[in-house]
Amino acid sequence: MTEISHDDIGVTDFAIREHRSLWIDAWRRLISNRTARIGMAVVAIFVLTTVFAHFFWEYDPRIDLDYSLKLKSPNLFPTEEVESIHPFGTDKLGRDIFRRVVHGGWNSLRVGLVAVGISLLIGGLFGLLAGFYESIGLSRSEKIFLRAVIGMILGALPAWIAGQFYQAILFAGLGVVAAVFDNFLVGKTTRVAFFGGIGLLIGGGLGLLVAPAVALVCGVLGIAIGAVLSLPLGGTFFSSTVMRGMDIILAFPGYLLAIAIVAFLGPGLEKGMIAIGIVGIPVYARITRASVLSVTQKEYILAAQSTGEGHARILFRHIFPNILSPLTVQSTMGLAGAILSAAALGFLGLGAIPPTPEWGAMLGDSYRYLASGAWWAVIFPGVAIMLSVLGFNLLGDGLRDALDPKM
Amino acid sequence: MARYIFRRLLSLLPTLIGVAFVIFMFQRLIPGDPAVAMLGEHAAEENVARIREQLGLNRPLFLDREALQEGDIGGFFDSQFIRYLRRLAVLDLGTSIHRRIPVAETLMLRFPATVELALLAMFLAVFIGVPVGILSAARRNSALDGVTMVGSLVGVSMPIFWLGIMMIMLFAVYLQWLPSSGRLSHDVGLETITNFVLIDSVITGNMDAFVDGLKHLALPVIALATIPMAIIARMTRSSMLDVLQDDYIRTAHAKGVRESVVLGKHALKNAFLPVITVIGLQAGILLAGAVLTETIFAWPGIGKWIYDAILGRDYPIVQGGTLLIAFIFVFISLLVDVSYAYLDPRIRYD
Repeated sequence: MTEISHDDIGVTDFAIREHRSLWIDAWRRLISNRTARIGMAVVAIFVLTTVFAHFFWEYDPRIDLDYSLKLKSPNLFPTEEVESIHPFGTDKLGRDIFRRVVHGGWNSLRVGLVAVGISLLIGGLFGLLAGFYESIGLSRSEKIFLRAVIGMILGALPAWIAGQFYQAILFAGLGVVAAVFDNFLVGKTTRVAFFGGIGLLIGGGLGLLVAPAVALVCGVLGIAIGAVLSLPLGGTFFSSTVMRGMDIILAFPGYLLAIAIVAFLGPGLEKGMIAIGIVGIPVYARITRASVLSVTQKEYILAAQSTGEGHARILFRHIFPNILSPLTVQSTMGLAGAILSAAALGFLGLGAIPPTPEWGAMLGDSYRYLASGAWWAVIFPGVAIMLSVLGFNLLGDGLRDALDPKM
Repeated sequence: MARYIFRRLLSLLPTLIGVAFVIFMFQRLIPGDPAVAMLGEHAAEENVARIREQLGLNRPLFLDREALQEGDIGGFFDSQFIRYLRRLAVLDLGTSIHRRIPVAETLMLRFPATVELALLAMFLAVFIGVPVGILSAARRNSALDGVTMVGSLVGVSMPIFWLGIMMIMLFAVYLQWLPSSGRLSHDVGLETITNFVLIDSVITGNMDAFVDGLKHLALPVIALATIPMAIIARMTRSSMLDVLQDDYIRTAHAKGVRESVVLGKHALKNAFLPVITVIGLQAGILLAGAVLTETIFAWPGIGKWIYDAILGRDYPIVQGGTLLIAFIFVFISLLVDVSYAYLDPRIRYD
């Protein structure tokens, strides 16, 4: 067969679409979207100013203090009273608010990135595995491994009570046996009774070596563990266990859990990052799982399976690239949420420890001086929070339109 | 339906126990000895001992292995966590460290203030957010739609504590139209019956108190309602846009049904399910947001109480308040699910 050129079939140049990858395509759609452009501009200004300020504009909050400049209103030109220029005014310690707002951005950016990183890594991994095993199922070796781990974890309790660590290993072994002899004793009741009986022997029998009461408790636990191990634990079991755990974190509305965690840990920017990151885990787990579930319905996954590709390869080569767009959108929006939560923690005095410049803490500091009429000490940090959050939200909105044209 | 609700209730049990477990484990997060952390470095020895005893800190965390090895099965289960669960079962949330009063009692006393605030904010958010969302969906790309979209994006990005401060600055400090803190002015007396200011003043026929209570509610309610209003408007708009493209809407238009009826009856009914989810989610976030709003407006609800307890390191209050809010949120989610099944008969009950 001879090669057909465009001229032969009469298609003119403009009808031929140049080859573009998904991401270049998405980028073109993104910059053609007005809200996304505004969002990108705001985010770019925010990131550039804070990064430049951090590296090229030295600031030491510990020695920044000048009572002679206490609560001066904004001035763009030097006056007789105030010789230095303070575009955003000064706070109750005579510190330049403009400088602190710009440097505070570094902390907000840091909190946002670390918190989203924690949520994305942990939540994404959980969601990926849950979604994958729920729809594809476990291979034989994975089943054995899962059952052994469950046996080990559950067996740790009687092992601890009796002080015999080898009990946990025996229960792990029981898990392996239950997984290997999948078809042994098909009747459900007899199977449960059989493995429960072995569990009783392990827990109760070994417990007898310690004390009769220990044998009783470990025996009961052994029956329960054996019964659990005899059940057909598959991908759905794994997925629902993970998602149940996520539901517990989701039961705390908003940033209540972050507030509570930091309340007990004690204040600090780093602790705030971790707390906000933990709170975000289930959001990413849910989105990742849902995306994986929809991707695994596609034909190319079936094709990959039928050509005998391993689970790890299917997961990272075929599924992972196809769930990146919802995760990108969520991470951008998540940055906005994390900055807002960090500011809330700072406002409550649970975030950055003074005199570290942080927008929420600056607000919390100055709103008590509201009656003195120092509006500038309250307005500028708040505007900074709102604009940066708005920027990331706009960008996320635009990204969603660009990455998923169907919506 | 009853069986469905019962099964859903049963399935909540693991979540509730998990929540209780997480809150129990908070205590482990305290650096150092919790009893010393609560009372301060220089606390008297007997006070520390009292707190240790009261919180059961002398007992093992989960199970007492030594007791069991001596044959004491009852002692085996006498641990901090199981004591905690047993107390929860009888609605005992522990005792405040500094005030030495039961946490549950004060929570119940302060709860109406929070509910009054959250309910009014929710009403405001729904009654403005839903119609605005419907109208901007019906007039897509109009000026109203543009204002709604921009306004809702700004609203979502708004730090409520900042909005609250700005409103205090404008309406309470400069204009002096509205009070900035508390539920009632000092010179207005009101008999406490339900502890809802508006209800109590209506029951007792005390109109002064009613007006004064409304004035005190205005700023915190608006501050609290902003974010949910923005989210509800957005959700209603996008949900309506989806539905308005459906064939039965075109059919209704073709039959000559009035537009208001098409929007209100045909479209809204089908577009409302996702909106209800968002409303339920926001109801929980309102309760959590109360910590910030109540702190700014010195509103004597549980949010402010939790905040004060955090500052005073009165950990049982923080634990009790967090537990109450989380449990309520779990039940609101259940309510949303049940209303789903009720509103959409296509949803199966199992």
